[in-house]
Parts: sequence; structure tokens; C-alpha cells
Amino acid sequence: MVNWFYIPLQGIINGLLTGALYALIGMGMALIFGVMRIVNFAHGAFLMMGMYATYVVFQATGVSPYYEFPLAGILLFFVGYATYMGLLRPIRGQVDFMVILLTMGLALVLTDGAQLVFGADYHQINIPLLSRNIHLGSQISINAPWLVSFAIAMALAGALYWVVTHTMFGRAARAIAQNPYAAPLMGINVNRVQAVAFGIGSAAAGISGALLLPVFYLFPEVGNQFKLKSFVMVVLGGMGSIQGAAIAGLVLGVVESLTSLYWGNEWALAVDFVLFILVLSLKPSGIFGSQRA
Amino acid sequence: MRKWQLLIAAVFLLAALFVPLFGLTDYTLQILFRVFLFAALGLAWNLVGGYAGQLSLGHAAYFGVGAYGLALFSKLGISPWAAVLLGVVLAMICAAMIGSVSFRLRGPYFALCTIAFAEVLRLVAKNLPNVTGGDVGVQVPLLFAHSPVRSFYWSVVLLTAFALGLSAWIERSRFGYYLMAIREDQDTALSVGVNAARCKLWALLISAAITGLGGALYASMFLFIVPDQVLPMEISTEIAIVAMLGGAGTLIGPLVGSVLLESAAEIFKNVFKEANLLIYGVLIIVVVLFMPEGIVGTFTRKLALFKKAPAVPFAAPVPATIEAESERAALNE
Repeated sequence: MVNWFYIPLQGIINGLLTGALYALIGMGMALIFGVMRIVNFAHGAFLMMGMYATYVVFQATGVSPYYEFPLAGILLFFVGYATYMGLLRPIRGQVDFMVILLTMGLALVLTDGAQLVFGADYHQINIPLLSRNIHLGSQISINAPWLVSFAIAMALAGALYWVVTHTMFGRAARAIAQNPYAAPLMGINVNRVQAVAFGIGSAAAGISGALLLPVFYLFPEVGNQFKLKSFVMVVLGGMGSIQGAAIAGLVLGVVESLTSLYWGNEWALAVDFVLFILVLSLKPSGIFGSQRA
Repeated sequence: MRKWQLLIAAVFLLAALFVPLFGLTDYTLQILFRVFLFAALGLAWNLVGGYAGQLSLGHAAYFGVGAYGLALFSKLGISPWAAVLLGVVLAMICAAMIGSVSFRLRGPYFALCTIAFAEVLRLVAKNLPNVTGGDVGVQVPLLFAHSPVRSFYWSVVLLTAFALGLSAWIERSRFGYYLMAIREDQDTALSVGVNAARCKLWALLISAAITGLGGALYASMFLFIVPDQVLPMEISTEIAIVAMLGGAGTLIGPLVGSVLLESAAEIFKNVFKEANLLIYGVLIIVVVLFMPEGIVGTFTRKLALFKKAPAVPFAAPVPATIEAESERAALNE
């Protein structure tokens, strides 16, 4: 058929495939924001850690990242948990500035630490799956690794959504997000819930990193762009709403993909931010959120 | 306490003016240039981030607009100092636009919005090579033909002194009290008739003007700029870190923060080589954990413990009759 139909369709499909990974990153950020009301500037660095951890294991064993991503998740869960217990809990109740500043310091330490250990070089891994393409009809083709990561990310996003909506932990987390003063009065152990939420949020970033490894370059500052995008997603989705952040991730993926297609790759991030400013100025509660800014 | 702080800072800045006369190398002077540049930027940031309590993480926007204003206006044939002025005006116009959108938001939303604006400016500057030179960069005219490094150093020390004087004056003015009221509780401030929107915008305009001037001086010192050098998020966060670690909302906090952090960064670069950012990050974490009110904020509070206790015990607020008031006044004398 005609190109005006297939080219944008291919763009939208590619966007959704990337968007699923964004969604997972954004959901992690949104979970942390919801229960702690802080913007985690170390989120990108956690993603980078997940990528390097997966890279090291892959180099040592040759097991595909699509099997070893749970390792990155477990590692980053403990990193997040320890970060909360060791660094964030002692300054709870201080001004938000200081908490943000602390996460910035942590991001610097992790990024420069990675540079010391692994060097500033770009790494890329090669797995057989990378050369496989799936053709739908004659015009549309999908790169197999993206499809796999899409499936895994969507499944995990669904699982995370289920945890937040159907478990006691999720209920406690939502209660804290709704009212941080009333929640402890209802017998919720705020410290523990926040620590676990921080751990799960960080694990989401780490797993996204593992899933990104086969299709992306790896270098110490790789997390920065994803950190910025996760800010955009959290706001678009309505701060603290994890399903909102998930949808925002998919939307962001499609918007970026179409921008790259019609306007050039270099404008993709700029369009993200313009979208972000528009949403903040027109509907600060986010497109999908119900909370007031 | 405040008088002493101001006096020490004034003496320090005065002494700093004489430093170049002691035959320092250009390299050392460039480091000191950076120290005082960030002191001025931190003081400017402090008006918005410290006194008014609005965490701006997008001050790179005004810095970069000041820098690019100088470069681009002088490319049009305008004389350099007039271009500096136009750049500062342009930074203020940007501030008015950014402020009118972002000040409607609170807390983390505001911080993220300022980041977004600065990033949009950086990306636009990168992606419009016809206008800004893009990643190839653009030349900036030299503002001081005669012994440039010294002149640049003196000009940032003067800028710091100006920013400090202005902060001291604002801190004690009605405008300053409005800002602090907004920081403490915006709703209460609004309810007693403070025009919060206008106050915050004025604070941002003043802050942006100083930041833009700093950006122009920086650009002219380096003679050549690219977007990733004058508009990145790192500039925004560095400005905020200097002011917050020094003590947000304190008069000399940003100056102390800049002197300590910028010289620490330089020392770390030489001592720890590649690990310098790691140590710098650890330094930030340690200061946040142990001095959560910033260096100056925490010290003033510690020192306040040893201040002379007030003559009237603080259980005194019995019905304050006129007699009791005058008695207390007499006791205090």
C-alpha cells in the first residue's frame, strides 16, 4: 500500500517498543515520588548500575540479558533499600532541597565510580537475537530484541501495578501518598514502606537498564537522559500516579519516535520538554493524574 | 551576628581585590575567577532559592542567555558592552517568561519546570546552528583588552560584592520580608496581603540579571562558547549546590559555599585525578547529612546556643500590660 500510511505506523510501533521501557523507568520514579514526595536525581544512575551489572554478568557467563535481568532487579532493590536506610532516613523531615541535593551527590558518586571501574568507553554487547527481524506484511518490520524487551517491560509494569493496587504494601504506599500525616496514625510503618518503595522503584530502574543493554550503548553517563525523561513522565502522568507514568512512558516513546521521523532525532528531547512545560502550565495535575499540584 | 558576617565578607572581598597584585599565575587567577563567579551566581540564586524558597534548578538558562546574548548581539555589529547589556535584558525577559509559567507551580513541580525550560533552551541552541553556531560554537568578543585575566577577576569580585550588598539590603527590606514570608508559608503570606506572584517574579528578575551578567563575563573570558558549556544542567545544579551547601537563605552562605566547594573541586581535580567527582559527591552527601541547614546555617545555630540568654526568662508571656512591657524594656537596658 502507500507510504503515508506505513511509515508513520512503523514510527508508532517503534515508539511503543521504546515507550514500554520508558514506562518501567517512569513507574519506578513515580512510586518513589508518590510515597516520599522527593524527586530522585539518582534514578538515572541506578539505571546505569543495572546496565553495568548486567554487562559484567554477560561478559562472564554469556547469558543473555533477557534471562539475567532479575539479577539487576535484586541488586538494585538492595541498593535502593540501603540508600533509603543509610542516607535518606536520617534527613527525613529536612527541607526537600536537601534530600534532592543528597540524591544529586549520590548520582555523582555512582557515575564517577562507574567511570573509575569501567572507564569512560562506550560498550555494546552482541547477542544473536539482535540480527533477527520480524516482518509484518511487506512494510513493517520489528527488531526482535525490542519486542522481547517490550513484552518483559509490559509484564513487569503490569505486575508492579498489581502490587500497588492489590497488596498490603501497595495499599500502605497509596495511603502515604494520599496523606503522609494520617498514614502513620493508621498504624502504617512509614519508614519500612518508604524503604521498600524506594527499593522497588530503584529495581525498576535497574531492570530497565538490563533490558536496554542489548539495544543501547553503555557508558557511565548513560543514565542522565533517562533521568530527564523520567521527570517528564512522572509529571505527564500526574505526580505519584504509577499507571499515569506508565501511559506517559508509552506516549513519550511514540512522540519521540514521530519527532525523530519527521523532524530529526536531535529535536526529540526538546519536544519532550515542550510537552512537559505545556502540561505543567495547562494542567499541572498531569494528563492522567487526579492530584492537584 | 549578621553584622559580623557582613563585615567579614566585606573585608574578605576587599582583600580579594588585591590578590592579583601578588604575581599569581594566570591559571590560579582563572580558578579564583571561577570561585567568585559562582559566589555571585550563588548569591543571585539565593534571592529566589534561599529567601523566597523556590528551588530553581534552571539558572543555567539565564547564564547561557547572558553568554549567548553577548556573542550574538556583538556578531550583529553592536559594541561589546552594549551587547552585554542587551544580553542581560534578554535574560530578564526569559526570566519573566519562565517565571510566569513556573511560579504557578509549587515544590518539586516548580523545580522540574525550571529544569525543563533550561533544557529546551540548551537543545534549541544546539539544534539551530544558523543562529547560534550549534555545537561548533560561536566566538565571543573580549571585554577587557588590557591585562584581561586580572580584569575579569576584578569584575567578578565586584559582581560578587554587588550581589552581596544587594542581598544584604533586600534581606532587611520590606521586599525581603515578603520573600521570606512566602518561603515560610505561601498561603499565609497571601492571606495577609503579600502579592506572592509579583514578589517572586521580581526576585527572579534581579537574580536573572546578575546571573546573565555572570554568564557574559564567563563567555568573554573563554572567547568561545558552545551550548553544552554555558547552558547545561550541570551549571544549574552547581549554582544551587554552592548556595544550598553554603546555607540557603543566609546572607554569606553562597559566598562561603563557593569558596569552599570550588576550591575543593579544584584540589580534588589535582589530588584525586579521575576520582574527583566521586569525592565531590561524597563531600555533598557528608555536608547534607551532617549540616542539613548548610554550612553557615548550621554554624549560626550552633553559635546561637552560646549567646547571652535574654534577661527575661522565656516563660514570661503573661498578659502583656503596658507596665509589664516598660518593665521589661527597663530590664533589657
